[in-house]
Amino acid sequence: MAEKFKITNSIRRRRFFADEMTQQELAEKAGVSRQTIIAIEAGKYSPSLELAFRIAHVFGVEIGEVFDYEVKRDSE
Amino acid sequence: MSYQEKKTIVSIISGMFVLVAYCVYVVGKYQSQAVSPNDLKFCGVIMLVFIGIGIAATIIIQILFHIALSVGIAVRERNCDEKVIEKEIARTIIEDEMDRLIELKAMRIGLIIGGIGFVAALVSAVFSYSVAVVLNIMFLSFGLGSLAEGAMSLYYYRKGIGDG
Repeated sequence: MAEKFKITNSIRRRRFFADEMTQQELAEKAGVSRQTIIAIEAGKYSPSLELAFRIAHVFGVEIGEVFDYEVKRDSE
Repeated sequence: MSYQEKKTIVSIISGMFVLVAYCVYVVGKYQSQAVSPNDLKFCGVIMLVFIGIGIAATIIIQILFHIALSVGIAVRERNCDEKVIEKEIARTIIEDEMDRLIELKAMRIGLIIGGIGFVAALVSAVFSYSVAVVLNIMFLSFGLGSLAEGAMSLYYYRKGIGDG
């Protein structure tokens, strides 16, 4: 049975707790465009490992605290 | 709509303009029987000319697009100083890993269409079609591939590129 991995993230929540950091501010700190942050937040784009580390670094937490994954089986 | 999407739309429009102009010109020439369908020199010259026009049109349209974008930002931020405006422009046109990945994925589609056209052109040669048909299938398929590349970029920007 094939398994699929879906990467999830808590960027929106972390931005809220980081004094309502805007997407633009996070984008500038992580060195990407706002469009990319919007896509990552919406689950439309899985960032590279490097960008994932950079985003976690902006929030001052471990990568696993920002990004997680769900395993989905085909039958689900 | 993001800067990248607008830029893609502009390049699709310029590509479409050149392709339509090519079709109108070439079909007109063949219909008026001004040139023979086996005139290889005419095909070569006209394709080179339109490739040149395409490159020049793309460069000019992209420059005009950048000017319009910069003016738009400058007008919107007219109360801010020059450095803020420059920063805003740089922030808008930033290209990152997602843009590069979308570009690569879209380019793959464009090359597949170009490749299919190349094979179709060879097949038409096998069936003894004229040189004009063979070369035009090749030329148009690469043109359509380029348009499809733009369309796929837009699709990926809208839909996202998910988990790999």
